[in-house]
Amino acid sequence: MRILVVEDDEVAAEYVRKGLMEAGHVVDLAPDGDLGLEMAKAADYDALILDRMLPKRDGLELLGDLREDGDATPVLILSALGEVDHKVEGLRAGGDDYLAKPYSFTELLARVEAIGRRSDPNAAVTKLKVGDLEMDLLARTVRRAGQKILLQPREFRLLECLMRNAGRVVTRTMLLEKVWDYHFDPQTNVIDVHISRLRGKIDKEFDEPLLHTVRGAGYRLQV
Amino acid sequence: MFRLSLLGATLTMVSVAAALGLVYYSMIEAELRRVEQSNIDEIAELQNLYDEGGISRVRAAKAAGIVPQNLSSNTSEFKQLYDRGGITAVERAVTVRGASYEALYFLQARRQSQVLIRGNILGQGDLLASEAIAQDDLNNKGYSKIQFLYSDPNSDSGDFIDRRARGIVGNLKLGEDNVAAIIVGRDVEAISRTGDKIRSTLVPALLLAAILGLISSWFVSRSFAARVEAFNRLATDVRAGNLDRRAPRNYSEDEMDLLAEHLNSMLDHIDRLMQAMRYAGDSIAHDLRSPLTRLRTRLESAAVELGDAPEADVLFSAAEDASELLTTFDGVLRIARLEAGERRELLQPTDPKPLLDDLAELYEPACEDAELQFTADIAKGTDILADRGLLSQAVSNLVENAIKYTPKGGRIHLDLRKTRNGRIAISVTDDGPGIPSLDRERVKERFVRLDKSRTLPGSGLGMALVDAVADLHRAEFILEDGFDDRDTLGLKASLILPRRRPGLGVDEGKPKPVDKA
Repeated sequence: MRILVVEDDEVAAEYVRKGLMEAGHVVDLAPDGDLGLEMAKAADYDALILDRMLPKRDGLELLGDLREDGDATPVLILSALGEVDHKVEGLRAGGDDYLAKPYSFTELLARVEAIGRRSDPNAAVTKLKVGDLEMDLLARTVRRAGQKILLQPREFRLLECLMRNAGRVVTRTMLLEKVWDYHFDPQTNVIDVHISRLRGKIDKEFDEPLLHTVRGAGYRLQV
Repeated sequence: MFRLSLLGATLTMVSVAAALGLVYYSMIEAELRRVEQSNIDEIAELQNLYDEGGISRVRAAKAAGIVPQNLSSNTSEFKQLYDRGGITAVERAVTVRGASYEALYFLQARRQSQVLIRGNILGQGDLLASEAIAQDDLNNKGYSKIQFLYSDPNSDSGDFIDRRARGIVGNLKLGEDNVAAIIVGRDVEAISRTGDKIRSTLVPALLLAAILGLISSWFVSRSFAARVEAFNRLATDVRAGNLDRRAPRNYSEDEMDLLAEHLNSMLDHIDRLMQAMRYAGDSIAHDLRSPLTRLRTRLESAAVELGDAPEADVLFSAAEDASELLTTFDGVLRIARLEAGERRELLQPTDPKPLLDDLAELYEPACEDAELQFTADIAKGTDILADRGLLSQAVSNLVENAIKYTPKGGRIHLDLRKTRNGRIAISVTDDGPGIPSLDRERVKERFVRLDKSRTLPGSGLGMALVDAVADLHRAEFILEDGFDDRDTLGLKASLILPRRRPGLGVDEGKPKPVDKA
């Protein structure tokens, strides 16, 4: 993906750039809001990482201008203002996801890849498929190798989230936010327990495991 | 307040009585004393008259040659002459002066074998005077005081009404011998009547004073009580953490106002210190977040670069330690923000049932994994004002604590019910080791961890966050013993939320417009 990072903290921006490049993305940096808006309009990016507090032009203002222009580039907002209401504000202004500082890089990478893929035309599908695992979003059924698998509603949503991000890391925090709508990090391994139950249903009786644990980051559904 | 009013009334009565007493004393007693003094003076004057009369009679007898020129004063002849002249002079003075009733006299002298009585005291006074003389108990100055009644034939009314008088009983002396008893008195009827009047006003005046005193001190003590009550409310509020409250002042600079001023400046000072302290803590947490974030990012990217090398594990766990620190700092900042109460206006009318159902569903498998028996009993149809995210986090902290401390095979129970007085209680009960009752308030403070939990992971902020969330929701956070039906210790952590009052909800704030058909 081609990603624009608008961030005034040079050290932080450099680390983000380096990390994203190592993950195989092309990265441009903009140190302030004015330049950021200019660059975002000039080139066609797959995703924008936008700091909320910027010199010259505030992050939310930049986003508003961009959306007014009809630009639908997915945007991940970064902010030190981590409270839920600020998050709501950011999403309402047209952001696609919101990440509070301090964040771990794996979290940032997972999220930016998740929103970047959302601009794909196949995001609005009614069927998801990873290897021999199939999910029908309308009939709300799951099959693996043609064999029907019964899931609880929450397990279904968990699997859906993983399948929509197939091949990419999904962090525990992302799962808590997207599947349970909780914006805090539990101290215990609640998510791991739910994942292991899901794993028991979709992987246990099959030779090739699909649901992988990524050390220090989260989970990935992959063939 | 009643005691204060009573004290006020008593004080008013005492001061009224004192004022009346002072008036009585200066008007009546002083006048009576003056009367007595002039009576005493007059007795002395009559003694002088007696002596003058005596001396001139002796001198006249010597001149006429009736007695020898060198007649000794020790002889009975001398004494006889002297006494006769003296008594005659006194008798004349008493008769002349007594006629106008300016003063009252009673003279009783022995002349040869008969008793001579002269004076103008009539009626009862006559008898009384002779009795007084008969009693003869004079003080060391040679007189005694008497009170008696007399009738004044010259009075305007003309009838013989008894009038009050004060008198002095004394003796006329010839050398060391008493030669005659004498009473000098003066009319005190007018002054005594004034005294009677003053005395008779005493009881109604005191009654009036009591009533007025009671009323006025009731008013005073009521306003006093109101001001004291204001201080009490202030103390309660400040203790509840509202350090911005101040005592009301009326700027009268009276003692209460000065007390308020001192109290307020003290609270200002405490507030400043608290803010400085909190600010220092919070800003340390805030300032350390950026370098820590960078540290973690560096460690993570280094670990990713190393790939499958064994050193990567070390880097990953270092990054995890940094994450843990960041989580702690975040917790501190979150609690600080909650305590500032900024988010209170964001509370929404909420049905707590789905919120708790979700939490139960989230934690049920984790409990099962930890070999704990998890049950939930969540009542329907309750309604509270809450921030869904924060309340979820608070309850989740309580459940996680329960999971962390309850040994295998234990029970955890989540429950939602209405209390008897209509409030909403959310409780998490476990049969773990519990918390000794002495420590139950302490564990709600930041970074407080009990000795036995030090070996377990955690930052010591979980309970502090629950407490801050409870405060934000104006809820009570209560820690008590666990299940009733067991001998195990256990812990029951409850959030008692206030009943949502109609009209306070966001969607019920304005009255609905009346539909006019």
